[in-house]
Amino acid sequence: MVYEKKELPAKVQKIGFLLTGIGLVLVLVSYVLDPAREAFNNIIGLMFFGSIAIGALVLVALEYLSGAVWSTPFRRVSEFIASSLPLMLLFAIPLFFMMHTLFHWTHTEVVEADPILSGKTPYLNIPFFIGRTIFVVALFYVFYLVFVKNSMKQDKTKDQKLTKTNVKLSAVFMFFAGIGITVLAVDWMMSLEPHWFSTIFGIYFISATLLAGLAATTFTAVSLNEGGYLVKGLTTDHYYSFGALLFAITNFWAYIAFSQFLLIWYANIPEETFWFIARWEGGWGFVSVLLMIARFAIPYAALLSQSSKCDPKNLQRVSIFILFAHFIDLYWLVMPTFSKTIVFGFYEMGFPVLSIGILILVFYAQARKKNLAPIGDPKLQRGIDFHL
Amino acid sequence: MENKMIHSVTAIFNTPDEIIHASKETVKAGYKKFDTNTPYPVHGIEKAMGIGSSYLGFFTLFLGLSGAAFALAFIYWVAAIDYPLIIGGKPFFSWPAFVPVTFEVTVLSAAVGTVLTMITLFFKFPNNSHALHDTTYMKKVSSDKYGLCIVSIDKNFEESKVKAFLSSIGGKDVETIYYPEKKAINPFDPKFIMLLVFVALVVSGGTYFMLNKLLFMEPFTWMAIQDRLDPQSNSVMFADGYGMRLPVEGTVARGHLPYEFKGMNDSAVKVIPNPLIFSKEVVAKGKEKYNTFCSPCHGYYGKGDSRMNGQFPNPPTLHSDKVRNWQDANVYHVIFNGQNAMPSYAKQLSTEEGWSIVHYIRVLQRSQNALDIDVEGK
Amino acid sequence: MSTIDYTQELPTVEGSPSAQSIDDVISKPLDTKPGKLWKVLITITSLMLLAGSGALGWTFYKGIGVWGNNNPVGWGFDIVNFVFWVGIGHAGTLISAILFLLRQKWRTGIARFAEAMTIFAVMCAGIFPAIHTGRAWLDGYLFPYPNANHIWVNFTSPLLWDVFAVSTYFTVSLVFWYIGLMPDFASLRDRTTSKLKKTIYSIFSLGWRHSSRHWQHYEKAYMILAGFATPLVLSVHTIVSFDFAVSVIPGWHTTIFPPYFVAGAVFSGFAMVQNVLIFVRQAFDLKHIITIQHLEKMNQIMLLTGTIVGYAYGMEFFMAWYSGNQFETFTFINRALGPYAWAYWTMVSCNVIFPQLFWFKKIRTAIIPMFILGIIVNIGMWFERFVIIVTSLSRDYLPSSWGMYTPTIYDLGILMMSFGLFFTLVLLFVKGLPSVSIAEVKAVIEGAQPSHKGGHH
Repeated sequence: MVYEKKELPAKVQKIGFLLTGIGLVLVLVSYVLDPAREAFNNIIGLMFFGSIAIGALVLVALEYLSGAVWSTPFRRVSEFIASSLPLMLLFAIPLFFMMHTLFHWTHTEVVEADPILSGKTPYLNIPFFIGRTIFVVALFYVFYLVFVKNSMKQDKTKDQKLTKTNVKLSAVFMFFAGIGITVLAVDWMMSLEPHWFSTIFGIYFISATLLAGLAATTFTAVSLNEGGYLVKGLTTDHYYSFGALLFAITNFWAYIAFSQFLLIWYANIPEETFWFIARWEGGWGFVSVLLMIARFAIPYAALLSQSSKCDPKNLQRVSIFILFAHFIDLYWLVMPTFSKTIVFGFYEMGFPVLSIGILILVFYAQARKKNLAPIGDPKLQRGIDFHL
Repeated sequence: MENKMIHSVTAIFNTPDEIIHASKETVKAGYKKFDTNTPYPVHGIEKAMGIGSSYLGFFTLFLGLSGAAFALAFIYWVAAIDYPLIIGGKPFFSWPAFVPVTFEVTVLSAAVGTVLTMITLFFKFPNNSHALHDTTYMKKVSSDKYGLCIVSIDKNFEESKVKAFLSSIGGKDVETIYYPEKKAINPFDPKFIMLLVFVALVVSGGTYFMLNKLLFMEPFTWMAIQDRLDPQSNSVMFADGYGMRLPVEGTVARGHLPYEFKGMNDSAVKVIPNPLIFSKEVVAKGKEKYNTFCSPCHGYYGKGDSRMNGQFPNPPTLHSDKVRNWQDANVYHVIFNGQNAMPSYAKQLSTEEGWSIVHYIRVLQRSQNALDIDVEGK
Repeated sequence: MSTIDYTQELPTVEGSPSAQSIDDVISKPLDTKPGKLWKVLITITSLMLLAGSGALGWTFYKGIGVWGNNNPVGWGFDIVNFVFWVGIGHAGTLISAILFLLRQKWRTGIARFAEAMTIFAVMCAGIFPAIHTGRAWLDGYLFPYPNANHIWVNFTSPLLWDVFAVSTYFTVSLVFWYIGLMPDFASLRDRTTSKLKKTIYSIFSLGWRHSSRHWQHYEKAYMILAGFATPLVLSVHTIVSFDFAVSVIPGWHTTIFPPYFVAGAVFSGFAMVQNVLIFVRQAFDLKHIITIQHLEKMNQIMLLTGTIVGYAYGMEFFMAWYSGNQFETFTFINRALGPYAWAYWTMVSCNVIFPQLFWFKKIRTAIIPMFILGIIVNIGMWFERFVIIVTSLSRDYLPSSWGMYTPTIYDLGILMMSFGLFFTLVLLFVKGLPSVSIAEVKAVIEGAQPSHKGGHH
């Protein structure tokens, strides 16, 4: 018997509730004490939570599209993480009421006086903005539902046609994913500085999303496998690909981040450089350097050797660290708009803790009802047999 | 038959499973100096043979890091120490701009270095005279068979024992491989001598030609010999053969516009005011130029008491009523037009220097006719 | 082949050929005299090469003035062709290095050929920066070495980064390719009957003995090279894109250029590789090693990278409006409606519209349509570089500086020369060296690896 459903320990749910509770308290207290600051943290929370869920969904699609087999035994993990997608709107709703605090372009007097900002109003207006976010989340959720419906159905029917459908669907999904993630990034993070623009910003956030989803999936999958909750017969060879992908996408993120910086630094046009200057002065320079070290140097060194990519403990540590670095990245992208000098305190901790708490609770609930492995997937046996 | 040295005993196997099994058996039997030869890497054979993983990666790491360090250090030295240039207003050591080259050098040194290390150090290649070359064994393992080779330097090696062992584990075509015959080398072989002579001629002739002839031919002169005129060399363009020429008639040096009122009555200049403001810097400049050009005749205080005093005609004092009542432009006119024995200073002074001298002369004049307020230290 | 069975792995080699038949079929072109088709083709390509070299020689003699370059369009066909050829080279490295790292076995049959094409494409590319300097005989100064003028190269200039990037790319690709060839030279050495060929193969094989102890280091080195070649190939076209993106010219200075150029390079490279492979598999009986499924996968990659290029077009266009920068906005309106609009619409239709046909499996698995689409993609990608370089330069900030660019016969001649050089080298390669990796293919045929005992090594 290749898979025996084993209940996740209740401890997991307890941790989920605890983190959600602590997170919620921190968020509410912070909102009362400094609503503007917490609103910005809310954006960070929305992006953090959303990128993990969307990233996981992209991984599901990527597996179907590329025909990879090593990840088939783990696919349910990604599916469960992606199921949190619609809850993004819970994070977004408070923000829809705080638009004037967050975005300069919502202040009509400012926009009318500024010809450049007035030119952007067809895109940067509140109804269209809110509509875009809702539409993207809804669209992604629809894709999720179809993917997962086929995947779950296959558990019972073992019908190969379902895989074929999902493969075709993932090709279509990738197209919308690229555009949707770009829209979310441009809307929620780039428009915080409405005078600034960078054509690579969408790709920057796409790489961050992929990395977030992958890190969350890696940590969960490795932990579950070590605990014997997944199919039998998985080895450290299967972990290698997680490590290699984390390594590769970390490098990709660094490449995109550096390209964006180098080009703006080199041409030295004030219209563009002010954004980076804001992230160098007032103490933010410390975060910029920290970002380079935490987001690139450390994961690079920790995942360079072949053995490090196969070691479960290393993968667990690095995944958590990458998620932490992802938070620092979002914080660096968003917060300098709120404050010219660096701020960091308990205000910032609420949303990340809340996000992780909710993700754990949703995962636990999904694992209760569904199999933690796609037992009907035709590629499953090939996936188990996979070795380097 | 000569006594040939035995190199090894080899056997052929037909499937990958067989060679894996055979490797394990060989290890079990206690042989250490053996090898397998396969037309492509067979999965799992290293484990079966008991060899650990390759440590080539450490060389790569070292080579890559040294490449990176060298590149960055070199660029730093070039850009910030040896020939610093301000490019685009950026600092001398602009690390973002140096990342691409550093990255490329890192990859180059790591990749090429790894391969060279592997070939020379790990494989000790090139080596086309190994005992296994040109044997039927090599032909087979090069194509579609798998071979096992137990080398004679192994402690437990004994030809017949090894042959029996290999047959027992399923080896086919068991044969002994001998070291190739060493042929004596004759250093005076005529073909070799001819080759040496040929190489000597080509190298010396080529070097001579390159260094003495080619480098003086276009385009290999490599910017050393150019069509421009070097200072103090002759020129074929001009009749007198001089390379260095005077400026064309009427050339005006910067700041030295020709004096437009030259030779004219000084009334023409009376209406031109002093264009310079009376300031400390202007007066200091005027003093410097006055001391250089005017003091030899008029003295340091304008009294006409330099060592030219006593010669005919006497340089006049500048404190006479006539000069004190002159307009600034009048003084300027005398300086730039000349007067009587005084030559024109138009070629030695710029217009700005001339006007500042005028200011200084006024200072001198005031000094000899000071008012009370001057003394009260206002 | 209408339904795929996902429980089975896609066979890398069809049928179940023996290792010896692999030897035979791959060595056959090397052992046989060239056929009529080959002779006709190489005559054509050599003529292209020679005639084009005449144009190049004339350029050296008279100077760059014989080209269409002018003020303001200081870069014309020279740089368009440079970027075009570097882009073509990227497919080879992607196939051999990146697909290797992703453990995609289907790369095995095509990797050798693709790597060779990379090297030839980079050679063609490298010609252009070398000749466009004006006094090509002084090109040695492009490298930093202590010289009589006590002057160094400018390390902050992307044009210099290009020098390092392209030379490194060429060197590493050559080394990677050579490493792959070493075991094949050994196999050829051991099966040839000609004494001359044996000597040549022996020298190039360096004495390779197929020892497992050596294979172990070899595989590690191969993995390391693949691991380096991957960021290298990304960095090369990124650095090429920096040539444009670090400037301040609208249409050039935009942060998306690095990944956009890389995606475009892979796009055009795959189209070229696919087209040449279609010929090779037909001419040399390699259809069971270079299968329709492999070609289909290449088409899917073309669809993916073509979509990324389309995304980049969309982002540039959106930001041109969003930025509110009137120069940026004008540049894009000018591209679509200005004097070079014909080039722009050629580019858009060839790169975005036509490749959408690859959504249909029928097209992906039919030789003639995919061949035509490959040519269309290459035309489109050439025009993309033309549009980026020429339209942005011909009309930038100051209307009084605007000017048009028209290529001369010498520009076209040199372009023809580069194609002649490329295809001549391909034809020579196909007859002189094994165009499929003998050792790698033998390693993936049925029965090549020991059976599982339910474990791993």
